[in-house]
Amino acid sequence: MRALIIDDSAVMRKVIERALRQAGLELLEVVQASNGEEALQALRADQGVASPIALIMSDINMPVMDGLQFLETRRDEKLAPGVPVVMITTEGSEPFVLRAIAAGAQGYICKPFTADQVKARVLPLLNAA
Amino acid sequence: MAVTETDHIQEDLMSRLDSAVSEVFEMMLDRNCTPLTTEVDINEWITARIRFSGAITGECLVYASQTVAQVAAEALLGTISDPSDPMVDDAVGELCNMIAGGWKSKLDPNAAVSLISVPAITRDPVLAPHSGITYNRCYAFQGNVFGVSLAF
Repeated sequence: MRALIIDDSAVMRKVIERALRQAGLELLEVVQASNGEEALQALRADQGVASPIALIMSDINMPVMDGLQFLETRRDEKLAPGVPVVMITTEGSEPFVLRAIAAGAQGYICKPFTADQVKARVLPLLNAA
Repeated sequence: MAVTETDHIQEDLMSRLDSAVSEVFEMMLDRNCTPLTTEVDINEWITARIRFSGAITGECLVYASQTVAQVAAEALLGTISDPSDPMVDDAVGELCNMIAGGWKSKLDPNAAVSLISVPAITRDPVLAPHSGITYNRCYAFQGNVFGVSLAF
């Protein structure tokens, strides 16, 4: 499968990728974006490809375009509408969680996290997709 | 000596900070990290700064020597890095981000809705907090010492 990981930290993108592999996901490709705008461009370019992105992991607090703006724009543009989105962020307060869910996030993981937590949140979403 | 309200506030702030630092190192680096009772001189700093805004106004700084930052980056990434690698700076920024976010999440719900900035990282030799009252604490993991400051 192909996954899109959105985080302004290259270190964190690597850590998340490693956690997904530890969860047992066979990642053929990880598309990386350092902010919401880059992620939207990646999803627009992904339309119509044979093996589209099947999972999106996104931070919230990023420069240029944050993760919540990304979610809302993705929803409005109907980009990758059936693809599960899991937010993975230090912003764990209720207003952020509620806004993310309202904008289409199906999972929410607070940093710091363990690989087991990533597995527990992500695998059920992929099995249900 | 009488214990003042200020002492209680400081003790509470630092207790939450100790907990946040410990969680970050245990969960993300698989390392135990404990607070030190004394401050330690840290040379050749890499410093990451996160700003709080909203219900709380202030900042969180994490600072470490390049060598300690390299060790932390290696533990976080699981790969060997060089002290001059930009990923080392990035790792210190992420540690600061998670410590600041973890500390904020332990406050009461009204304070926890404060916003935090993206981390700013510098290798300048001296980077003091911009805000007024500052609380400093040094921590150690496997003998590697780094510092955290909260300023309001």
